[in-house]
Amino acid sequence: MWLWFSKLGSPKWFYELSGKWLPWLIGPMALLLIVGIIWALLFVPPDYQQGNTIRIMYIHVPFASISLAFFPLMALAGTITLVWRMKLADIVAKTAAPLGAWFTALALASGSIWGSDIWGTWWIWDGRLTSMLLQFFLLIGVISLRSALEDAEAAAKACAVLSIVGCINVIVIKYSVDWWNTLHQPSSPFSLSNEAPNPPEVWIPLVIMIFAVYLFFAVSLILSMRNEILVRERRSEWVQQLVQAT
Amino acid sequence: MKSHRKERLSIIVFITTGLSLAIGLTLFALSQNIDLFYTPTQVAQGEVETGQRIRIGGMVKDGSLRSANDSLRVQFATTDYINDVTIHYEGLLPDLFREGQGIVVEGAIDELGVFQASRVLAKHDENYMSQEVKAALDAAGVSAENHLLSSQPET
Amino acid sequence: MFDLIQFSSVGEFLNMGGYAFNVWLVYALFAMFFSVNLTYPLIRKRQIVLEQKRRLILNKEIVSQNEDNNEVDNLTFRVGEGT
Repeated sequence: MWLWFSKLGSPKWFYELSGKWLPWLIGPMALLLIVGIIWALLFVPPDYQQGNTIRIMYIHVPFASISLAFFPLMALAGTITLVWRMKLADIVAKTAAPLGAWFTALALASGSIWGSDIWGTWWIWDGRLTSMLLQFFLLIGVISLRSALEDAEAAAKACAVLSIVGCINVIVIKYSVDWWNTLHQPSSPFSLSNEAPNPPEVWIPLVIMIFAVYLFFAVSLILSMRNEILVRERRSEWVQQLVQAT
Repeated sequence: MKSHRKERLSIIVFITTGLSLAIGLTLFALSQNIDLFYTPTQVAQGEVETGQRIRIGGMVKDGSLRSANDSLRVQFATTDYINDVTIHYEGLLPDLFREGQGIVVEGAIDELGVFQASRVLAKHDENYMSQEVKAALDAAGVSAENHLLSSQPET
Repeated sequence: MFDLIQFSSVGEFLNMGGYAFNVWLVYALFAMFFSVNLTYPLIRKRQIVLEQKRRLILNKEIVSQNEDNNEVDNLTFRVGEGT
């Protein structure tokens, strides 16, 4: 177990293994995306109230849901860095932050565009929107904190602490729609019946898109982790061999 | 301390203060008005002063909508099925606006007790379904939230 | 299966019931983000590899210029020998 743990922490081992994983992630991702998007654009029936704008949900909800995963992921990686000093954990923490900012930005943008049609405004300072915007700024904060600190170890520690603090905001985002009255609607309960709100014809393509976007996140993270490994390990023999072989 | 260290340190202090300021201000703003809107009952209980800019959230009361023929002026009542507030508004209404729909209005109460709205927003609920499913539900009498609420006794 | 398509013509599909601009804007944003996010790491990888290659060549030149220089570290020396 310990051997496996320390092996997993080795950048070289991860680089080799992730190279083998990638096709197995990209394949299902492409398949789910194609099926999901065609389903969402062509086959989902227009909503009884918002008509075809419901199709925006199939982009907005997957991105919003994965956005909530970034701070817990960075906090976990940060804790591992602080306690065990595992090299790979800090690589995860560093590469996840800019990705998180992009995913959060897309969730905010798609929500805004949807809202401008349905609510009649593209922005309002309600609990859900404000806490999500705060997450975006927190991620920018994590990124700039790391680039401001030259000492890599100090940067890793500072970012780990900020990431753990940022997790509080994730709880606020999640429950904002239940704690306070907001313009943003609460999350929908899925119904198994075809004759109830949120029937399978609405949520099956949504689940497909959620899985597709999760895989997309995994692929993006692995790709930028591999680049970060190449930079950090550039003095090691295996990277130099790899560079010369290409 | 070396000068470049000093510089780094000041950058970190700057970022940390900036971040805590942002978090602090957001939390302050939220605690001031963490709820986006008042309910008509809160308004009826006198929690809101005349002329104070607020938002009210509720349903558009069935049969209350009157619109002018020559302008975009509308009048309607918003209700939480306990109390009503009369709303005056001039301007474009959101696509989702109709009787029975959840809405949020922004504005202030004038001396006559009428709410002069400067903005009307539609609040969408968490129920998504097609026209067919909605029709089937209505026919069966077991409807979505809107229907349940509007079947409650009105005062 | 095709009778389940919600639109009866391509024009109707593009029009999205009057919400064309916003629906297509969201999907366009997604497409842009998706393709940039997958191609950028690949471009970046090429950059990193090229940069490293240049550095290795540079090191090799330094090694050949200073054959008798003791200060050349192990790593560059090994690389110099390997080729």
